[in-house]
Amino acid sequence: MKKQFLIFPSVLFLSILLIFLYLLIIDRNPTELPSTLLNKKVPKFESESLFKEKKFVSSDVFGEKIKLVNFFATWCKPCRDEHSYVKRFSNQEGIEVIGINYKDNSQKTISWLKELGNPYSNIAVDKNGRIAIDWGVYGIPETFVVNSKGIIKYRHVGPITKKIYKKINLIISEIE
Amino acid sequence: MIKNFLTFKIFILIIAFCLIQFFSTNSYGVDPEEILQNQKLELRARNISKNIRCMICQNQSIDESSAPLAKDLRILIRNKITEGNSDKEIYKFLTDRYGDFILLKPPFKLSTLALWLLPFVFLLIGIFIVFWHNKKSKKI
Repeated sequence: MKKQFLIFPSVLFLSILLIFLYLLIIDRNPTELPSTLLNKKVPKFESESLFKEKKFVSSDVFGEKIKLVNFFATWCKPCRDEHSYVKRFSNQEGIEVIGINYKDNSQKTISWLKELGNPYSNIAVDKNGRIAIDWGVYGIPETFVVNSKGIIKYRHVGPITKKIYKKINLIISEIE
Repeated sequence: MIKNFLTFKIFILIIAFCLIQFFSTNSYGVDPEEILQNQKLELRARNISKNIRCMICQNQSIDESSAPLAKDLRILIRNKITEGNSDKEIYKFLTDRYGDFILLKPPFKLSTLALWLLPFVFLLIGIFIVFWHNKKSKKI
């Protein structure tokens, strides 16, 4: 009778241990949160455009083509690191890359893009970070994949690495 | 006598230290220029901010955090309050963008049922085991 009683806690303990082991092994980043905007329309916003005289109006920009929306700033080191991958996306056919310049100095951004190359077809200026809040952004760089109907299909927090580059390409090929 | 006096002094020091810790207020991230003139509205803003998680330093509220995003959200909450939004509308605005995770206290929903009820289930199991064990040991 006593032995039977001991089985229950040990089984419980072992199963908890197994759950922890599983969470340790699987590839996950606990600080990365799922976006609540997935499968929803892009938030509506208007702002200055960095290079164009015309205002950046979200309803005019989204739709038709698949868009990659990249929140970046010149003061953010990981943004510099991921820039080569952002450029690769802009060279791919059927994809347009939209930049959102987060809390930055416009003059600095222009020279930064001159130095590294400009992959963006249009850049919205987010002076006070309000556009980012509407997109649920909490740590730049962040990248969103928006389909041709203007619906958000994927969000990545942090710089685009080789692995993420492949993942985004896979998602793009799936929604095409 | 002297030895007793020394232990008494140390004892008083420890008590004083505990009292200081107990009565000291927490440090807040709110900057003076953010504070609203209207005290009633400011109190509302503070109460909301205490329930909102800072997404950067995830175990702090935006009221305590000095992260730039926390500051932006504090200012945004105050703007919304002065514009006449209700607390409920402000919470909805934030959870629409950042999800339930932005609330420090998760809401009672179907998906969070286990989170809220499991502690009570475990408590009941614990009580049951203690009683069962007691009953058995009495027999012996």
